[in-house]
Amino acid sequence: MIRDPYRLRRRSLLTGAAAAATLAAAAACGDDDGPAGTADDPIEISFEWWGDDVRAEITKEAIALFESKNEGITVQTNFADFPTYWEGLAGRMASRDLPDVFQMDYSRLRQFGSSGMLLPLEGVVKTDDFREGFLDTAKLDGQLLAVPIAGNTLGLIYRADWFEAHGVATPAPGYSWDQYGTDIATVTAGLGDGKWGGGDWAGQYHFMELWLRQQGGSFYTEDGKALNFETAKLVEWWATSAALYAAGDVPPVETTIEWVEGGLVQDLLASEIGWDNFMPAYTPTVEANGGTLALAAPPSLDPANLGLYLKPSMQLVISGTSEAAEASAKLVDFLLGDPEAIAILGTNRGIPATNTGLENVEIDPATQGVLDYEASVAQYLTTPPPAPPSATGAIEVKFAEIYQQVQYGEMTGQEAADLFFTEAETLLAAEQ
Amino acid sequence: MSASPSATAAPAASEAGAPTASRKRGAAKRRTPPSRRGERLVGYTFMTPWIIGSLVFTVGPMLWSLYLSFTDYHLVLGGDFIGLENYTAMFADPMFARAVKVTLLYVLLAVPLKLVASLAVAMLLTQSRRGIGFYRAAFYMPSLIAMSVGIAIVWKALFAAGGPQDQFMSWFGWDGGGFIGNPDVSILMLVLLSVWTFGAPMVIFMAGLLQVPGELHEAAEMDGAGKWHRFVHITIPMLSPVIFFNVLMETVHAFQLFGPAFIIGGTAGGPAWSTLFYTVRIYALAFVDLRMGYASAWAWMLVLAVGVVTLIMFRAAKNLVYYAGEDNK
Repeated sequence: MIRDPYRLRRRSLLTGAAAAATLAAAAACGDDDGPAGTADDPIEISFEWWGDDVRAEITKEAIALFESKNEGITVQTNFADFPTYWEGLAGRMASRDLPDVFQMDYSRLRQFGSSGMLLPLEGVVKTDDFREGFLDTAKLDGQLLAVPIAGNTLGLIYRADWFEAHGVATPAPGYSWDQYGTDIATVTAGLGDGKWGGGDWAGQYHFMELWLRQQGGSFYTEDGKALNFETAKLVEWWATSAALYAAGDVPPVETTIEWVEGGLVQDLLASEIGWDNFMPAYTPTVEANGGTLALAAPPSLDPANLGLYLKPSMQLVISGTSEAAEASAKLVDFLLGDPEAIAILGTNRGIPATNTGLENVEIDPATQGVLDYEASVAQYLTTPPPAPPSATGAIEVKFAEIYQQVQYGEMTGQEAADLFFTEAETLLAAEQ
Repeated sequence: MSASPSATAAPAASEAGAPTASRKRGAAKRRTPPSRRGERLVGYTFMTPWIIGSLVFTVGPMLWSLYLSFTDYHLVLGGDFIGLENYTAMFADPMFARAVKVTLLYVLLAVPLKLVASLAVAMLLTQSRRGIGFYRAAFYMPSLIAMSVGIAIVWKALFAAGGPQDQFMSWFGWDGGGFIGNPDVSILMLVLLSVWTFGAPMVIFMAGLLQVPGELHEAAEMDGAGKWHRFVHITIPMLSPVIFFNVLMETVHAFQLFGPAFIIGGTAGGPAWSTLFYTVRIYALAFVDLRMGYASAWAWMLVLAVGVVTLIMFRAAKNLVYYAGEDNK
C-alpha cells in the first residue's frame, strides 16, 4: 500500500500506525532513486484486485512464487469485491495513493487513464506474446495503458440438463429474444415453484449495449460524451422482459435482492446471459448439484449480427505514481507469462490472454467449452467500442438502481428512463 | 467553537508554556496561587494534541468541504468555482427529495419510539430490585455494539426472507416476506435497530428520574393521585429538561445515521431507494459518482437543516420545558 522506499527502515524505529502514516506522508516528499529491488536493496510493492476468497488464495500462492523467484521484492496484497474495490480506489485515486499494480476493468480504464494515473506500458512490460486482438482494448487514445489478463465475451450460460428435460432445443446462434423468452417460460413452468428458466436481463447495461449493437447502434457516442440512444429506446429495452417479469417466469426482485450468489450456482436459475468466463467458475458447484452447464450465443435481434465483441475480462495496470515501476513490471510479466504462475492461477480470471498462458494453463472440459464457444462465435465478433467514458462505472450502477424501481413498480418505464437520462447526463457532464 | 483562540494559543503554549508554567508553580509554591494566565497556558499545553487533531482532522476538512461545496470539484478531475450552483441544483435533483423523505421518515419514527422505550426501561430500572445493576448493564449493552458493522450484518440476516422475523410474523398471518426485499417496510429494520440501542438516553433518563423529589410523589399520593396522574403531572414536568436534551441529541443523531443504513441498503439505498438516507446519498455522490463538490454541498445542507431543526426545538422548549427552581411566570 505504501510504496515509500524508506518506510521499512524507518518503521523499525517507530511503532504505531499513526506514526507510520505521518512518516510515509512526510517521506513521500523525498525524491531519491528508489531501491533496486535486489536482495541487498529490497523493495516493497503493492498489488490489489477484486474477487472472492478462491481467487485470493491462488493469487497469493502465485505471489509467493514470485517473491521466491525475485529475492528483494516483497508484494503487499489486498483484495475486495467489485463495488467495494472501486469505491476504495476512487478515493485513493484522488489522494494519488494507488497500488503499484492493480486489476483494471475495461469500463474504468478511461477514468483512471485519462487523468494520468496509469503508467504507459509500451516498452515497460512484455507485449509480444498476446493473442491477436487482445491489445486493442488495452489502449486509450492510442496509448497502451493496460495489459489484458484474459478475454471474454457475452454468452448465454444455461443448464443443458434442464433445457433438455423440458423439451427446449439447444439455443443456436441467431436465436431471438422472443424465442429466449418463450424458452424461459417453458422451463420455469417445468421446474415448478421457486426455480426459474432464466433471470431478468433488463437491469444490466452491458446487455442493453449488446442489444443496441445488434441494431447497429451503441451505448455511447463515438467520443464518449453522450448516450447514443433516446429515452424511447430505453423504455423499449426495459419492456423486453416485462411480460416475463409480470408472469413470474423470471425471479422477482424481492427474491434476487437477497441473493449473494448467482442463481445458477444456487440451483435456482436455468439460464443467464453473462460473461462466458464465468461458466467454468460456476461449473463445479452446478455439477455438485447434479446439473450440466453449457454455453450458447446470447439471443439476438438479427441472426447475422449478434453484437458480440471480445473484450478483456480484466486487465493489469501500473500506477503512474509508482516509485517501483521496474519491480511492478516484473510482477505483471510474471503473472501473465510465467508458466508456473499460469498453472497456479488457472482460468480463474478467464482464459489467458497470452500464448504462453494458453499453452500452460490446464484446460478442463468447462474451459474447453468456453474456447469452443468463442470459436463458434468468432465470425460474429466485431470491433469493440472505444473505451467507455469515465462516468461509466457510476452510470452502470445507476442503470441497475433505476431499473429496480421499475421492477418494484415504483416507477413506470417512462419515468425511470427519464430519470436515468437526467442522472446519466449529469454524470457525463461532470466528467467534462 | 473556540477554534481561533486555541489556534493562536497553541503554538505559544507548546513552545514556552510548559517551562514557564512549571517555573511559576515552583516559585509560587505555598505562597500565592498560580496566575490565571499561567493556568490557562498549562491547560492549553495539555490540550495541544487534541487541538492539533481537531484542526487537522475536523476543522480543516470541514472548511475545505465548505469551499468544495461552491465548486464542481470532481474527485479525480478537480473543479472550478461555480458559486451557489450546487445548492440550486439540489432542489431540482429528484434524488434530493427522495433522500430527504427517507431521512425525515426515519427521524419521525425512530426518535419517538426510542425515547418512549428508553423512558419506559429507565422507569423500570430505577426501582430498587435485587440484581438491578445487572439489568442496567444488560439493557445498556446493545448500544455499545449496535453501530458496528457486525451487528448490521446480523441485523440483515434477521430480516432476510425465511429469517427469524419472517418466520415469527408468519405465525400472525404476515405474508410480506423478509424486510430486506420489501421497500414498504425495509426502513423499519433501521428504526428497530435504533430503538434497540436505547442505552444512552436510558442512562440519562435514569439520572433524571432519580432527581425527581420523592416528596412531590408522596404529597400527590396523599391527595389521591393515581400512578398515571403522578406520571403525567409530576414525572413528566420534572423530567422535561432531560426529555428535551434527549430529544435534541437523538434527533441530531438520527439525521446522521449512516453505517447500518449503508451496510443494509448499500449505496443504492435498496430496496427501491427505501433506505436511501441522506448520508448514504452523500456517500454515493462522492465515492461512486465522484462528484465531491456536489456531495459537499449536500453535506452542508444537512448541517444547515440540523441547525434549523435544533433552533426550532430550542424555541419550542421555552414553553414546554420546566426548570425547577426557575421562576415560571
